[in-house]
Amino acid sequence: MKGRKINPKRFEIGQLKIILLILPLVIFMGMPIIFIINHAFKPMEELFAFPPTFFVKNATLENFSKLIKFSDSSGIPLSRYLFNSLVVTVITVGLALLLTTMSAFALAKIKFKGRNALTHINQIAIMFVSTAVLIPRYLVICKLGLIDNLLAHILPLVAMPVALFLVKQFVEQVPDSLLEAAYMDGATDLDIYLKVIMPMIRPAVATAAILVFQQVWTNMETSSYFFSDDSMKTLTFYMNTLVNVNNTVAGQGMAAAASLIMFLPNLILFIILQNKVMNTMANSGIK
Amino acid sequence: MAETTKMSRKDKKALKERMKHLKSGKLERRYARMGYIFMIPWFIGAAVFLAYPLGSSFWYALNNIRITPLGRIFSFVGQGNFTQILIQDPDFMIYLVDYLTSTIISTPIIVVFALIIAMMLNMKIKGKGFFRLIFFLPVIIVSGPILGMLTAEGAGSISAIDTQSLTSAISSVLPDIIAKPISDVFNNMITTLWYSGVQILIFLSGLQKIDKSMYEAAKIDGGSAWECFWKITLPNLKSMILLNTIYTIVFISNNSENPIIVLIEESMFSGTKEKGYGYASAMAWLYSVVVLILVGLFALLLATRKDQYEKQVKRAIKARKKEARNKKKIERRNRRNAKKIERQRAAGKITTHTTDRSDY
Repeated sequence: MKGRKINPKRFEIGQLKIILLILPLVIFMGMPIIFIINHAFKPMEELFAFPPTFFVKNATLENFSKLIKFSDSSGIPLSRYLFNSLVVTVITVGLALLLTTMSAFALAKIKFKGRNALTHINQIAIMFVSTAVLIPRYLVICKLGLIDNLLAHILPLVAMPVALFLVKQFVEQVPDSLLEAAYMDGATDLDIYLKVIMPMIRPAVATAAILVFQQVWTNMETSSYFFSDDSMKTLTFYMNTLVNVNNTVAGQGMAAAASLIMFLPNLILFIILQNKVMNTMANSGIK
Repeated sequence: MAETTKMSRKDKKALKERMKHLKSGKLERRYARMGYIFMIPWFIGAAVFLAYPLGSSFWYALNNIRITPLGRIFSFVGQGNFTQILIQDPDFMIYLVDYLTSTIISTPIIVVFALIIAMMLNMKIKGKGFFRLIFFLPVIIVSGPILGMLTAEGAGSISAIDTQSLTSAISSVLPDIIAKPISDVFNNMITTLWYSGVQILIFLSGLQKIDKSMYEAAKIDGGSAWECFWKITLPNLKSMILLNTIYTIVFISNNSENPIIVLIEESMFSGTKEKGYGYASAMAWLYSVVVLILVGLFALLLATRKDQYEKQVKRAIKARKKEARNKKKIERRNRRNAKKIERQRAAGKITTHTTDRSDY
C-alpha cells in the first residue's frame, strides 16, 4: 500500500535530457518567485533604482523592521489580523473540502432527481463574475445579521463551484464496480464515502485544498465589504492597506516585505501537500 | 432479471402498465435520499450565496438602481441596460473582441504547455518536487499586484524571441485583425505560461491515475513512446483536458486584471445617472453569457469525439436494429400475402388442386 517514491535515489545520465529541457522553463517560471524574495530585502535606494535591478545587492532587513514598527504604532496589533486570517482560512478550507467531496460523491455516483440540474447550476456559477454578485451577497449577509462576524469571511467562500467541478471530475473516474463490491459487502453510503471514495481521490482533494486555500488567503472582498470593525479584518486586507494607504516612497519597502510574508504560507502549504498529489494508490483494488 | 426475459409478451405488457402507476421502490428511494443528504449542506451554501445573488443580480440588470441615503431606488427599464451597453458604451465591445481573440489563442497554448510540463514532471528525474514547486507557485503571485511590477521590467516576454520581427512576419501573412492578438500573445508569452500552475497540477494527478501496467503491456506489444502517448495517455486524460480548458477560460475571464472586470467594477461604483449597479449587473450578465458560449464551444470540440470502441458498439447496435426491422417487415409481408391468398381462395378466384388424405 506504500505510495511510490517521487524522486529516484540517484542521478542518472538518462535524466539529463529531460533536465536540459526543463531548466530553461524553470528559469522563466521561477522569475516571479526570485523577484519577490529579492525585492523584500532591497534597501531604499535599490527599490527605486533606474533601470530597476532584478537581484538585491546589499540585502537588509530594514523593510521588515519598518513593517513591524508601523504595525505597532497602529491601534490593532499584527497578531490580531494573523489570528483572524488563520482561523478563517483553516475553517473555510476544512468546511469547503468536506462539502465539495460530499456533494461531488453524490453528484457523480448517486442517482437522484435533480442531479443534472444541480450540475448545470454549478457549471453556470463557475462562469459568473464574482464581483457582480457582490451587492446581493452583501444584502444576504445583512439579512443573516453577520456583519462584523467572522462567519461572514467563511460562509460566502464555503461553496466553491470550481473545487466541486474538479473533485467531481475525479470521483467520476472511480470505477462503479468498486462501489458495487463495497455495497455487496454491506457498506453504507457513508462507509463508501469515507473508505472508498476519499482514499481514491486524495490527489484531487490535495489539489482542491491548494486552490481553496489560495482563494481564501488572498481574498480581500469580504474584509472590505462586509466588515466595518477593523479588528475583524484579515491579514491580507491589512497588508494591502499598507500598500495602498502608504503609497509613498517609504511605503514601497513595507509593501515588498508584506508581499513576501503573504507569499510564504502558500509556499509552505504547497510543499506539504505536493507529496499528497503524487502518492496516490492509482486504481488499487481493481484488476 | 432472468425471469423477466422468460415472461411471455402479455405478462410483460401487464407489468409495464402496472409500473406506470407505481412509484419508485423503497430501496431506490432510500438510495436517492442518501444523495440528497450528501448534497444538502453544499446546496444550502450554494443557494444562499450563489443562486440567490445570481437571480437577484438578473433582476437588478433589468433595473436602473440609484443608491441614495434613503435606500435603493429601483426603476424598471427592461432591456434598456443591455441595449445601452451594446450600442452606447465605447469600451465594452472593443474589450470583448480583444478578450475573445486572446482567450481563444492562449487557452490551447496554456493547456498544451501544462500537459507537456506535467508529462515531463511525471518522469523519473531527480529534484522533481523542486521543479513542481517552481512551476506551480507563479499562479499565486500572478494574481497579485506584483505582476504589474514584473511586466514593467520587461519580464513578461521571452527576450530570446525577437518579437518585432515575429510580429511583422505574422502581419505580412495574415490580416491585421488576426495578426494583432497573435503577436500580443507572443509578447506576453511568459505571463501566459505563469497562469498554467493549477493546470499542471491537475494533469499530474490525472497522469498518476493511469495504470502503469498499461504502458508495460503496450511496450511488450512493440508500442513506441509516441504511440503510447496517443493511444494511452491522451485518451486517459480526456476528461482532465476538458476540465483544464474550462478552468483556464474561467481563470482568464475572472481574473481581476481582466479589463472587462475592471470596467464592470468601475461602472458599479460610478455615480452617474445611467450607470450604477443595474448597469454593472447587465454588463456582467452579458459577459457571462459570452464566457458560457466560449466554454460551450471548447467543450463541444473536446467532448463529442467518441472512443473508437464506443463507435463500433454503436454501429453494431444500429446494424442489429436494422436487421430486426427488416425481419419484421418480411414477416408482416408474408402474413399479408397469406391473408390475401386466403381471401382470394374463399372468393373462389384461385383454385388449388387439393387432395384428400383419405384418398390414400
